[in-house]
Parts: sequence; structure tokens; C-alpha cells
Amino acid sequence: MNEDLLLEIKNLTVSIQKKNESIPIVKGIDMDLPNGQIVGLVGESGCGKSMTAKSINGILPSVAKVTGGSILWHDSKDKVTDLVTLKEKDLRKRCGQDIAMIFQEPMTSLNPMMRIGDQIREVLRIHKLEKSPSQSREQIIKMLESVGIENPSLRYNSWPHELSGGMRQRVMIAMAMISSPKLLIADEATTALDVTTQAQILKLMKSMCTKSSMSALVITHNMGVVSAICDYVYVMYLGTVMEQAKVSELFSNPLHPYTRGLLSSIPKLSGNPEYLKTIPGNIPVVNKKFPGCEFCIRCSEDVQKCFFENPPLKQVGEDHFVRCHTVSL
Amino acid sequence: MDNSVLLSASHLKKKYRIDRKNSIFAVNDVSLDIFTGETLALVGESGCGKSTLSKILMQIIKPDEGTVSFEGKEISSLSERALRPYISRMQMVFQDPASSLDPRMKIRDIIAEPLKAFKIYGTQAEMNERILELTDMVELKEDCLNRYPHEFSGGQKQRIGIARAIAASPKLLVCDESVSALDVCVQAQILNLLKRLKNQLGLTCLFISHDLSVVSFIADRVCVMKNGAICELAPAEKIYSAPEHEYTKYLLASVYCP
Repeated sequence: MNEDLLLEIKNLTVSIQKKNESIPIVKGIDMDLPNGQIVGLVGESGCGKSMTAKSINGILPSVAKVTGGSILWHDSKDKVTDLVTLKEKDLRKRCGQDIAMIFQEPMTSLNPMMRIGDQIREVLRIHKLEKSPSQSREQIIKMLESVGIENPSLRYNSWPHELSGGMRQRVMIAMAMISSPKLLIADEATTALDVTTQAQILKLMKSMCTKSSMSALVITHNMGVVSAICDYVYVMYLGTVMEQAKVSELFSNPLHPYTRGLLSSIPKLSGNPEYLKTIPGNIPVVNKKFPGCEFCIRCSEDVQKCFFENPPLKQVGEDHFVRCHTVSL
Repeated sequence: MDNSVLLSASHLKKKYRIDRKNSIFAVNDVSLDIFTGETLALVGESGCGKSTLSKILMQIIKPDEGTVSFEGKEISSLSERALRPYISRMQMVFQDPASSLDPRMKIRDIIAEPLKAFKIYGTQAEMNERILELTDMVELKEDCLNRYPHEFSGGQKQRIGIARAIAASPKLLVCDESVSALDVCVQAQILNLLKRLKNQLGLTCLFISHDLSVVSFIADRVCVMKNGAICELAPAEKIYSAPEHEYTKYLLASVYCP
């Protein structure tokens, strides 16, 4: 892929620790995040997409743990740091400064007892980016303005509850962007928003990325969001990458039965069939080792081999990889 | 679709107070007819009053002004007791399948509740038969009846909610954002189920959603709401091919489709 990488995930495994067994939920995924690009990660809930993102900045829930692989952060051409083995203290320094995250629910991720401006200033204070109080106030007001908040100097002193959902998400973005990070992780950042607000926020994220040459990892289950802003996309199912391709390639030529099922499940604005073609069943419960393809139970193709042998990730075109027996080179 | 009006609303108004001085119209002079057998979609951003309107139509809240009539008879002025026979003919499927099912009730009791409340069946055997028929209709297995809601996934819970809503053989089914909390595949499954049931049982459907692509799949007519008022009401094909109101155009432009 691209030579100019920012983050490289190699064979990452995340497991949930239960009494004396460990259940893998992310099963050895590889992912590249090039500088200045927006990468999408899609899949149904429970496929491990949030866990992958959370392992990047080390905020996995206490029951989950990275049990293998590495997350390599390219500081410069020659200097590479593995975020998995990094001490918590050092990782903390990077999170918020180099890596920023936006969450799904803007109300629960803002502190209700703190004014908007003070909350954003906290980022500057903790990462020791503050020069003088008046200067950072100016900087914050400028940032609020650039994320499209009207009357920013008035909003500086607002409380979170005085803002609408879209405004709160804008504040979250301002907070994430104030330290000019190199990587922005958006975990279902627009899922709870209205279509019109979603369109505005996506446009804003895209323009922020191009303006400050920032990379972004966008986690979503909405294929529409992916088509709107991403450059490259990974499709995940039960902790493994099933297909990865450039966005235009994936939508024009989806090869994995799972990707095709996901795409045909979405109703379109016109020309819908009488009934939608969908993937039957639900995501199965994660259980012990299964030798075959994880998706074979719900797959529309009926191939014997799939039950016994897990297919490898095959390259089928430039930057297009598929994990499926039915796809031939 | 025949042309008889099933539910008709005229000049509905509902005001909510914000503080001592100010109040806001959640529903401002709304009149609409729902014809027998059609699916009418109510679309708009959050806060536009679509849920308030549906609750007024369902007689859950009383309007400040205006009337609602069901099959030609005015029902908005009826007492709770006189309203009962009408309520059984209009049922609702809610947005959040987790919080709309009682966690302490078994699935069997959840589905049986409307049957008992409206005293539809005389004997226990008849009722059990109906419950089995309903679980079959929403494509659930028989053994789920003795389990509790927390044992099911979101899509399955929504199926249970649908079974409860159609238990009393309603004429009108109101779906308030019934699929917006679900994953894409499960959403498609539930949409297919709703469409099939509607055709099978001859239901009339009021479908509330903010997702225009979902609406285009299911609706015959679309009603676009903004700030408590209807800004465009037209057949679905017309809304999507030649929207007239500026706001409809704006909504359509905001939808991303792969």
C-alpha cells in the first residue's frame, strides 16, 4: 500500500479474560493507516471494530486485553514506537495530543459540571500546550468557530446541557482537534445524530482532515458514511477482516458474500426491490475454535470447503484483499 | 388501496411550555388523513414533532385543539373507558426494543398481555393457539415463549414487540422509529417482516422515521414535517423524484447512499 504510513496494526489479537479461559474477540487483524487519509472500519455490532480502535489508545475495558501483535506508530521515517508495549504513562501523553478520539454519545462524553470552554482548555493544560490564559481562550474560540459553532465567544461559557446533540458533537470535535492531533478516531461519531446534522459533521471532519493533513479512523456500521468520507475501507466480521479495498472499488466491485449482503441490506432512495435481500440470522455467539470460515453459517454460497478450512486473505486487485474460498484470483 | 379514510386528524395543536413566559408548538395546526391499507411515513428531524403527533393520534396525549377520528367517529373527546375498543384496533411498535419490553415478564406473557387486556379469547387453549400463531408470524421459535427479554438480541426483541402489537389484530400499526436502533442486516430483516405482515394482514401503517432511504422502501405516501407543521405530503415516488418544498430537497441532499 502507501509508503507514507502513520499507524500500522500487525496481527493484533484482543481477548476477553474470563475466569481461566480467554476468548478472542479480535483475531489477528492487519491494518494500515496512511498519513492524511480517512480509513473506514465497518461491520455489524459485536464484530470487534470498537475493540480494535480502543486498543490503539489503550482504553480497552478491564476484562479485555491485547494478547498478541503490535500497533506501530511511525513518529518519523526511521523512528517507530509500539503502542502495545508502551508504558501507560507514555501512552497517556500521546492520547489526546497525537491521537484524539470522538465517541458516539456526545452527552455522556462531556462533563456536565464544566463549561464548554474550560473543558476544551483542560486538553491544553494537561498536555502543557497552554501559553497564557488569554491566548488559549482566543485559540479555543477560534477552534469553536472553525467547527461551525455560531457565536463562539458566547458559547465558551455555555454548559453542555444548553447545546443540542449536533452542537455537542461539534464541541467534541473541537476538543479533539485543539491539540492538532495526527490521528483522529471517530467511534460511531455520527450514529446518534439526525441526517442533516450527520451530513454537516461528516463534511466538517473531511475538511478538517484535508486542512491539517490529519489521518482518521472512522468506525461505523453505516455504509453511507463510509461512501461519503472514507478513502479506504476494512470490512470486519467476528474479529477478522473479511475484505479491504479502496472505497470506490469496494462499492463498485464487492467480492465477499458478507460485503455484498451488507450492501444489499441497505434500502436505497429509489428503485427498491419488493423485499430486501439480507443476510439471514444474527451474529453467532463467539465460541471455541472453529476450523472453517466464520461466516459460512450465514453465507449465501454453499461450499463444503468453508466448513473445514479458514480461507486466507487473498489479494485480488490493487489494494483489494478478500478472505473467501469462492473468490478466485 | 381503497379510498376510505381510516384515521383522520384535523387542525391538531399541542403546545409545550419551556419556561414561565415561553412555549413552543410541538404540533401546529396539522391535518392529515390515513387511508385504509396504505403506509404513510412521517419524516423529519428530531424535535420536529413527529412523535408528539403520533402520540396524539394514538390518544396517548390529548391535543390542545383539534380532533382525531377513527373510521369516521371522533375519538379524541371520548373517555378512557369508551376509548378502549378503539385502542385495540390501533397498536404501536416502539423504537427501543429493550426498554419497551417488561424485563420481569416471560415472552408468552408479554404477547398475551393485549389478548388478556382486551378480553379477546374466552379459553386458555384458544389463547395459547393464538400466541403460537403470532410467534410463527414474526419468525420466532416456539421455545422462546418461556424465556425472558434479556435473553434475546435487539432484532429478536423487536420481533417480540411486533408480535405484541399485532396480537389484538389491529387495523392501524404505528411504528415509531422501529428500526433505527438496529444494525443494517437486522434492520433489513425487520423491514421485510413489517412489509410482509402488512400485506398478509391488510394493515394500515403509520411509519415514523428520520431515515429517508428506509422510508422509500416501505412507504406509499410521505409526510415531511418541520417545526411542528407539515411542509410536504405527497406520494413516495413524487417526494423522491420531484420534491417541491425546499426543506424536502435539503433532507434528500443530506442522505448518503453507497
